[in-house]
This record gives sequence, C-alpha cells and structure tokens, in this order.
Amino acid sequence: MGFHQFGQACLELLTLDDLPTLLIPGVNSKKHQMCFDWGPGEMLVCETSFNKKEKSEMVPSCPFIYIIRKDVDVYSQVLRKLFNESHGIFVGLQRIEEELTGKSRKSQLVRVSKNYRSVIRACMEEMHQVAIAAKDPASGRQFSSQVSILSAMELIWNLCEILFIEVAPAGPLLLHLLDWVRLHVCEVDSLSADVLGSENPSKHESFWNLPGNTQTLTELELKWQHWHEECERYLQDCTFASNPHLESLCKIMLGDEAALLEQKELLSNWYHFLVTRLLYSNPTVKPIDLQYYAQSSLDLFLGGESSPEPLDNILMAAFEFDIHQVIKECSIALSNWWFVAHLTDLLDHCKLLQSHNLYFGSNMREFLLLEYASGLFAHPSLWQLGVDYFDYCPELGRVSLELHIERIPLNTEQKALKVLRICEQRQMTEQVRSICKILAMKAVRNNRLGSALSWSIRAKDAAFATLVSDRFLRDYCERGCFSDLDLIDNLGPAMMLSDRLTFLGKYREFHRVYGEKRFADAASLLLSLMTSQIAPRSFWMTLLTDALPLLEQKQVIFSAEQTYELMQCLEDLTSGKPVHGGSDTQQCQDDDIETTKVEMLRLALARNLARAIVREGSLEGS
Amino acid sequence: TVDTSHEDMIHDAQMDYYGTRLATCSSDRSVKIFDVRNGGQILIADLRGHEGPVWQVAWAHPMYGNILASCSYDRKVIIWREENGTWEKSHEHAGHDSSVNSVCWAPHDYGLILACGSSDGAISLLTYTGEGQWEVKKINNAHTIGCNAVSWAPAVIPGSLIDQPSGQKPNYIKKFASGGCDNLIKLWKEEEDGQWKEEQKLEAHSDWVRDVAWAPSIGLPTSTIASCSQDGRVFIWTCDDASGNTWSPKLLHKFNDVVWHVSWSITANILAVSGGDNKVTLWKESVDGQWVCISDVNKGQGSVSASVTEGQQNEQ
Repeated sequence: MGFHQFGQACLELLTLDDLPTLLIPGVNSKKHQMCFDWGPGEMLVCETSFNKKEKSEMVPSCPFIYIIRKDVDVYSQVLRKLFNESHGIFVGLQRIEEELTGKSRKSQLVRVSKNYRSVIRACMEEMHQVAIAAKDPASGRQFSSQVSILSAMELIWNLCEILFIEVAPAGPLLLHLLDWVRLHVCEVDSLSADVLGSENPSKHESFWNLPGNTQTLTELELKWQHWHEECERYLQDCTFASNPHLESLCKIMLGDEAALLEQKELLSNWYHFLVTRLLYSNPTVKPIDLQYYAQSSLDLFLGGESSPEPLDNILMAAFEFDIHQVIKECSIALSNWWFVAHLTDLLDHCKLLQSHNLYFGSNMREFLLLEYASGLFAHPSLWQLGVDYFDYCPELGRVSLELHIERIPLNTEQKALKVLRICEQRQMTEQVRSICKILAMKAVRNNRLGSALSWSIRAKDAAFATLVSDRFLRDYCERGCFSDLDLIDNLGPAMMLSDRLTFLGKYREFHRVYGEKRFADAASLLLSLMTSQIAPRSFWMTLLTDALPLLEQKQVIFSAEQTYELMQCLEDLTSGKPVHGGSDTQQCQDDDIETTKVEMLRLALARNLARAIVREGSLEGS
Repeated sequence: TVDTSHEDMIHDAQMDYYGTRLATCSSDRSVKIFDVRNGGQILIADLRGHEGPVWQVAWAHPMYGNILASCSYDRKVIIWREENGTWEKSHEHAGHDSSVNSVCWAPHDYGLILACGSSDGAISLLTYTGEGQWEVKKINNAHTIGCNAVSWAPAVIPGSLIDQPSGQKPNYIKKFASGGCDNLIKLWKEEEDGQWKEEQKLEAHSDWVRDVAWAPSIGLPTSTIASCSQDGRVFIWTCDDASGNTWSPKLLHKFNDVVWHVSWSITANILAVSGGDNKVTLWKESVDGQWVCISDVNKGQGSVSASVTEGQQNEQ
C-alpha cells in the first residue's frame, strides 16, 4: 500500500474536506476501532476494541494487521538508477556551492539542471523498455503510466529551468519555450504540425539570428513589427481572398487566436497553443507578461469543456513565477519526494527561495530533503544515499540521521561495519556505542566470544567486557585452553577497559611467558595477579594451582619472599572459606578435593620456601 | 497485510526496533511473533501464558537481546526472551491486584527497565539486575481508580557532553509520564536514593486519561508529551527545559468521541491519534507552531464521504 500524501500539508492548512483518506478494507463494524502503532519505517493498523472488557463479545473480528508503508517507490528497480545518479548530482552541487560565483554561476547551475533532466530521461527510456517487455498487460500499463509521470516531471523541470534558472530575458525567452514545446509536445509529429510549428519558426530563427548576435531587442522588435504590419496589410487587401488556406495561414501568422484554435487538433495541448500564439503575436514577450497569455491560452484551449488537470495547474503556477505553488502542487501530485526535493534544492542554490514569501524560505528545502532521505532509509541499500542528504540539512539533518541510522538492521558484519564507519566519521559516539553493544550481545548469544569481546571494546562498554571476560575464563576452566588467542594477545591498551579484561589479558600473558620457559617472569606475573587484586577471588585457587608446576621445578623459581606472599594468599583464601557442614555427598567430595589441593599447595610452598632460603642463604654467604 | 490468525480481538501490534519482526497480542490470550522481512510473514512464536486478554506488547532495545514484554487482564506482566532460537517465558511479575493496562520499556541508556501501569492504581518498575533477576519498585496509588498508560521520557545526557570515563555510568535523570482514571497526567522522577517521586501533575482533561506518549527527542531543548482522554480531547504539552518545570498544554483537537490512543512516529514529527470514530488521524506541527492534521487513515467500507463527514471541522 502506498501512502504518499504524508506531510505535504505542512505547506498549508487544510480542512478535513481536503484530507486524503486511505481506506483500509475490513469489517465495517461500528463497534470496533482501529489500533495502530508506528514501526521504524511504516505504520501498523488493525481492528480492535478499546473498551476493555474481560469477556470478549463473540463477534468475529478481523485477524489482519495492515502494514502501511509510505515510500513504496523506493523499491522500484528502474527508479533506483534515478535515485543513485541524482544523488551524485546532488552531492556535487552541494560541494561546488562555494565555487559558484559571478557570471559562470548561472551557466553552471543550468548545467546541473540539465544533468538532472538527462537522468530523468534516461530513466524514462529504461522504464519504456520495461513497459514494452512486460509480460502481462496490467504491469505493462503500470510501467507505461510511470513513463508518463516521468515525462511530466521532465516537462515541468524543463520549464522551471527556463523560467527560473536560465531566467531568459524578453527576447530569447520565446526561443527557449519553442524548444521546450518542440521537445516535449511535437514528439508526436505530424506533417501539418510541422507546418504550423517548425516551418515558420525556422524562418524566424534566421530572423532572430543565432545567440550571440549583436542586434538589440529593440531592433528585433522593430523588424518584427514591420513584418507583422506587412502581413496585416496583405490580409486587409484581401490578397489571399481566393485561397482560404493561405488566408487562414496569414491569420495564424498574425497570431489570430480563433484561426489558431481552428487547428486545435494539431495542437496537442494549451501550452503548445500558448507558445504558437506568442510566436505570432508577441515574440518578444516579457517574462512578466507570460502569465496573462498563459491563463488566457488555457481558458481558450479548454473552452469550458474540461477543467485543468494537476499538470496544467503546475505549469500555470510556473508561468506565474509562483515557485511555492509549483512545489506545493508537485508535492501533492507526485508519489514520492524525489522531484520536489531535488528541484527545490537546486532553486535554493539559485537563491530563489529567499526572494519569495519568506514563510518557509530555505526551511522548505530542508523539510523536503528530510522527507526524501527518510524514505530512502526504508530500503536495505539505498539508505546509504540518504546519509548524504541528511548531511546537507544543517538544522535537523544530524539528529534525523542519528534516529534513522540506529534502526538499520545489522544482518551482516559488513553492513554493521559500514554503519559504524558512517557514525564514527560524524562523531556520533552514542550511536556507535549502542550499535556495538547490540552486536556484542548478538555475538555472545551465538557463542562467538572473541567477536563479542572486540565489539564491547569498541563500544567502550566495561560492564559487557567484564561479562565476556568472565565467559572466557569460565571456558578456560572447563576446557583448559583459550579460544581467540589472537585477540587476547593483542589487546594492547584496550585491556584497561575493565579489571576483568585486564586480568584476562595478563593471565593469558602468564601462560605465554610460561610457554616460553621464562619461568622467573611467569612466576612474578602470577604472583602480581593475586597481590594486585585484579584477579577475582574465585580464580585464586586456579592461579595457585597454576603455581604448582613452578614450585615443583628442579630449580628454585619463587624467591623466599615471593613464597611467603603466596602462602599468605593461600591462607587468605582458606580462612575466608565458610565451613561446609552439609550432608551432601557431592559437597563432601568437593570438600575433599579442596582439602587435598590445599594440602598439596601447602607442602609445595613449604618445600619451595626451604629451598629458597637455602639458596639465598648460600648466595649471600659466598 | 499480515494474517495473524488470532482467534479473537487484537489489542496491540508492535514492530521491533528494525521493522523485521511483528509482535501481536489478543483477547485470545496469546502473544504472537512474526518475521515480516521482505513483505512476507512467518510465524516465529505463539506464546501462551496469560490467563486473560493481553492488552499490550513492547519490544526491548536489541542491545539486551530479543526481549518482549506483555501485560494482561490477568494482572500479570510476562517478559519473554529468545534463547538459542526459541522464545520462552523469562520472567513473570504478578505484583498487581488488577488488570495491567500498559507496559513501556525505558530508554536503553538506563538499563533494562520496564514500567507497568495497572487498574489497581499502582505503577511498578521492573529493573533487570542480572542472572535472571528482576528488582521491583512499586508506586502505590499513583492514580486513584486506575492507571491506563505509561510512557518514558527520552534519555538526555545531563551536564556537558564530554565522554564519561569507561566503566562509569553517566547520571541520567530518569523520568516517565503516566495517565490515569483520575483525569490526571503525572510525571515521575527517580530520586538519588532510588525512590520514585511524583514531580508534576498535569491537569487539563475532564475525564479519564486513556493514553500518554512522550515524544522522542530531536535534539531541541523542549520536551513534548501528547495525551488523550475519554473527554475527546488531545493535548500537546510542552516544556521548555531551560526554564525547568512549566508545562503548557495546547489543545490539538476536540473529537466527538473517546480518543483511545496516541503515538509518535520515530522521528517525532508526526503524531497519530486514534479516535472512537473509526479513524486514525495524523498530525504534524507546522512552521508557525500550529498543529495541522495531514491525513486520515480510515477503516471500513462504505463511501469515502460518509466517513469523512464524521467529525469534520476546520483545523487551525
């Protein structure tokens, strides 16, 4: 379901009469209401009864939940190219903004406008191909209607380019309009249309000469005036009386509206009529006067038989140079924000929005861009384009990005990294943290401890790092070895994040040093782990047990002092233990094991102490 | 559309954080979870455990895993969790004497905290303390007769924005709003000793407050709350945080019937309002601070004009 009228009424206060209404099919019962809630990119609606009663009425209720999405165009394959390429143009425009100065500014802006238009045309062409190749007539029709919409968009944009951006002065204005009409309307060329449309203009083109000539407007106007008067004389002299065709042709060339209208079927629409009329009656028309001709052309052409369509209203607004009206009407008529967002942005760069009714100013540009970008976020890959659009919205862009970027499903590691990079580039530390936490949690649930640890380090989440470290240590106790050694070995300064993590790192270091047979270093490290209190008490037994092989070595490794400290630790540990008075046999067995271990340790420590004292004594002595 | 196959009236439907899963609950006492990616629907879980109609469901933030809370007429709040691909009941809270009407998870920054509002007038707050344990704090007589809705304020990092040293939690000021049968909206704040205190009373409704919704933060210094009531009115309350504690209400609209539910869109720019007249209307604040109705979502067959003529008024 599409729901494209979201938000456009921000431009105006509407009465409920005007409200677009979306009907949800369902049981039309007066008893029930609609329950709804927002999802990240959609709205959920279902039938419900808010009157909370315990006994539900035995009325069949509708078990359906409707998911309403507003930016369905985002999913169109063909339009994707439009979004992608226009994104490039958009970003380019924002970047060169500072460089746009002076005379070249206008021509550069015109070039940008033409770029946008060529993208629309390319898309139109592709859509057309798809329409032809469509397997079933229904989708073929749908694609064809998309083609017409794109064509209308290009038509409107082109006109806006001529009137607002190019800002053609009185003379060349008509030339531009002629090109416009020829391009869009006379594509369905018939020979007679040629006669009316192109034959005379070509005569006139040589009359005008090519751009860059040195004739002034007044000179041109004078020439045209003479020619016009000559025609009139011919008509009055009834020179063509014998030939009605020539006569009507002459009338046409004088801009006689009635004569023109007689050829109505050759004029596909009112703006073709308008331009033709202007060509013959007022070729040096000034932009200001355009709207009067436009309005009367529209009225004459429609002749009271039909009413203007949305497209007509948009074009009329353009002829009236009412930019806001153009944008508003386009917002209503089109099903996505692409067109108005990009056009408004371009017009803003032309500094056109400020000069008008300042109620919205460049806020309108931002509003439209925000709406467009939000729509892109609904799409699994186009969201990346949306990021750039938000970047260029100075007021609410950042916070909108923050809200949207957290909602992107992180299905793959790649996507997660992409999202994180975007957040980090923009110093969105809160978002980085929250995303890393989510990923860490996911990793823990999937038992990927190494991944979980690196995510919690990146999130600077001490609590979670502690949790994962505990898991690692527990795993070690159960299996006797570490997983993810690479990661733990290369923690570096990140080790400081949490005490437990530091312990994990150092403990692993102990094992490494022991493996390298640097026993003295290993011994000191082991001792320091206990004396510095970073080892959790629950782990002390394991540490002391780890000390056993060092104590049993042929050479004396622990010095006397170190041995005293170890003994102290052992006493601390055993004295702190409550007496197990249970009748549980398992408990008794555990106690036995414990006692045996402690005794072994005491013995080993004592022996080591003896040897250490002897060794140190003899060294000192000699 | 998603066919939930609930056997009885559906009372709530909520999308998860990413829009990939849908949770629904119904008078048929079940809570269902669907995977709705790519326009499809796959039933992931059919959770039974409540002994009465289930009124609301709420998804917790994904950083805590896949967790869903539900509340029911049976006076219980159940927290469900997904472990190793299966959904199970993780915790049950039975501390209320009457139907629990509303559940709402706090902003993830505060930890895993659930607020529950009940017809016994009390609000309970469940905080996860680890190892499957939940700590309960109860606010008795929060609203006389009953509490209908709870909604948390978005997390605002107090003071400066310098990075807190790792391991240290910044001191958030936790607040939430509740609406009740005493026609009031109350704002609650957690004190330093961990107790919850009533900070403000917002009075404007003349009948039961059915729903409150605190708008998501969009970086502006103002706070906004929407409330709706049996009296047909919807108010937008704003507070300029700089000044502190003065909340001023603005009447959004007076409807002809009870207004049951209000809800903010994710980026806080559109408010959806559900009325008793079969319609959901959408409102947006325009540039000059006025609230404008921008659309109508209407249920049912029948001609468009018939449904539009109900409650038709000019918006200003």
